[in-house]
Amino acid sequence: MTELPSGLSARVAELRLAFDRSFAERPTPDTTVSEDLLAIRLGGEPSAFRLAETTGLFVDKKITPMPGGSHGLLGIAGFRGVIVPVYDLQAIIGYPAARTPRWLVMMAAAPVALAFEAFEGHLRLLRDAILPRDASEQARKYLHEFAQTGGFVRSIVHLTAVLDAIRAQARVASPKEER
Amino acid sequence: MFKNWTFGRRLAVGFSLVGAVLLVIAAVSYRNTSTLLENAGWVAHTLEVRTGLTDLRSELKDAETGQRGYLITGVDDYLEPYQGALKVIAGTMNNLRKLTADNPHQQHRLDIVSSLIDSKLAELKQTIDLRRTQGLDAATKIILNNTGKAFMDQIRDVISEADQEEADLLAVRTKEAQDSAQLTTAIILWGGLLGTLSVAAIGWFITNALSQRIGSAVGHVQSSSAELQAAANQQASGTKEQATALNEISTTISELLATSRQIAESAQLVSQTAEQTASAARVGRDTVDATHESISGIRRQVDQIVAHMLELGKKSQEIGTVLDIVSELAEQTNILAINATIEAAGAGESGKRFTVVADEIRKLADRVGGSTKEIRALIDDVRSAVNTTVMATETGSKTVDAGSRQFGEVATTFQQIAGLVTTAAEAAREIKLSTKQQTTAVEQVKVAISNVAQASKETEASSGQTLQTASQLASLSKDLLRLIRPQVAG
Repeated sequence: MTELPSGLSARVAELRLAFDRSFAERPTPDTTVSEDLLAIRLGGEPSAFRLAETTGLFVDKKITPMPGGSHGLLGIAGFRGVIVPVYDLQAIIGYPAARTPRWLVMMAAAPVALAFEAFEGHLRLLRDAILPRDASEQARKYLHEFAQTGGFVRSIVHLTAVLDAIRAQARVASPKEER
Repeated sequence: MFKNWTFGRRLAVGFSLVGAVLLVIAAVSYRNTSTLLENAGWVAHTLEVRTGLTDLRSELKDAETGQRGYLITGVDDYLEPYQGALKVIAGTMNNLRKLTADNPHQQHRLDIVSSLIDSKLAELKQTIDLRRTQGLDAATKIILNNTGKAFMDQIRDVISEADQEEADLLAVRTKEAQDSAQLTTAIILWGGLLGTLSVAAIGWFITNALSQRIGSAVGHVQSSSAELQAAANQQASGTKEQATALNEISTTISELLATSRQIAESAQLVSQTAEQTASAARVGRDTVDATHESISGIRRQVDQIVAHMLELGKKSQEIGTVLDIVSELAEQTNILAINATIEAAGAGESGKRFTVVADEIRKLADRVGGSTKEIRALIDDVRSAVNTTVMATETGSKTVDAGSRQFGEVATTFQQIAGLVTTAAEAAREIKLSTKQQTTAVEQVKVAISNVAQASKETEASSGQTLQTASQLASLSKDLLRLIRPQVAG
């Protein structure tokens, strides 16, 4: 077997050690107050939303376009036997529509899925690391907070506000159903 | 007609005419002179006959004188005339007969005279005998009957007749002789005059014709001699220039000979160098062939390297594919872990332990994803390196191909160089031989040029002599023309 370079061998050893340790050590309860975030990129900007506001993360789901849909509606898709509408997150929060949104997240508050371009990973931050925006930035109703991670600022999308916007848009599109 | 006659013919005809005139004059003169001589002979003959007749009469007188003296004296001494006459009378008679043999009248008279003389001599003898025997009286008696005197008178008459006839003949013959002499004199005079005039006329005619033709010819000769003089002058100057040029040519040929020898030596050096170069070219060609073979080996090895590198690229691509699967699995694992975390959070307190496992799985998936990215980066580096290597190798392969072609061309060029050098060596050898031959030829040319220079010098001297002769000829023609046509020659 060909020997790996020293750096790569160390990396492999580290991975193997971490993997083994995760099963060898006793699990310790997490006593710190933290927030789980899913790091994404919207319109080229680093963003995130709370994991608690979602029920699932999916990728490369087939989206069936719907004729005459409202603004931001990409179509419908099936998730675990449930047909839900899929909206473009960038279009909803006012960014230019994404070209190929391959990532999907199911919202916890309603059977609605949001699509976005890039998923960067899972973040677990201390709650102190999440800061509210100042008053001048309150105009951006979907971005109430931000977190500072890795040397740069990451906006946190408030999915509940997004859902409210979708619902408001749906009401405007079909006022008879509301009655 | 006369214009085409040659000088010899003109002279022959002229002298023939003069000769004919002189011959006619001579013939006529000869004939007249002969006639004159004949007439003179006849005159002399007549005079001789008359002299004979006179002698005969005188001899008879002598006989009669002696008879009378003896008769008177009775002394025998007085008989000497008588006896002397007796001795010659017969001869005189015979002479007269011979001289007058062509004249019958004179022969008849001589016959008469002869008988009369015989009678007279008989009467003289009788008287003498009588004187001796009988004395003077008996003799005187005979004398006194006049018989002797009659004989003597008859003799005198016949002799006178004969003499008269001879005198007449003499007159006639003298007249003829004078006529012949006058005619001869006239012929000589007028013939001489005619001959002189003929000679003068023919001489004038010949002189005129000759002076015209000779003068014309001399004029031509003079102009030709002048042209010849000019030509000789030009020839002399040309020969002098030719001699100078030949000297220069000789000098140049000497330099050419030296140069040819140097060229021959250089050609020999070139030939040796060409042979050495040919040998070196053959060695170089072998080296190039060996190098070409090595380059072909390098070409094959480069092809193998390219194949291996392409295979390595292909394997890297396959690794990338596998890595995509791994990355996708890691991504799916990450998604599953996130979803598990979400589900665990929704499970409340009982899901916390599952949350831990899900976190570990997610971390592991993150790490796998990170490692996958690193591996992908490494593979990309490897593929980039492989691509760079393949490109470099292909470039190297092309370079090797180009080098191989260039070496092939170099080998071909070396082969051509070897061939050309061989050809050059042969050419140098031929040049060497040719230059040797050329040197020999130049030496021969030098000898020939020396001979030509010598001949040119001789020609120069000859040209000088020719010029001198032409000048003398021009002077002579001028003198001759002056002699012939003084008014023209001036």
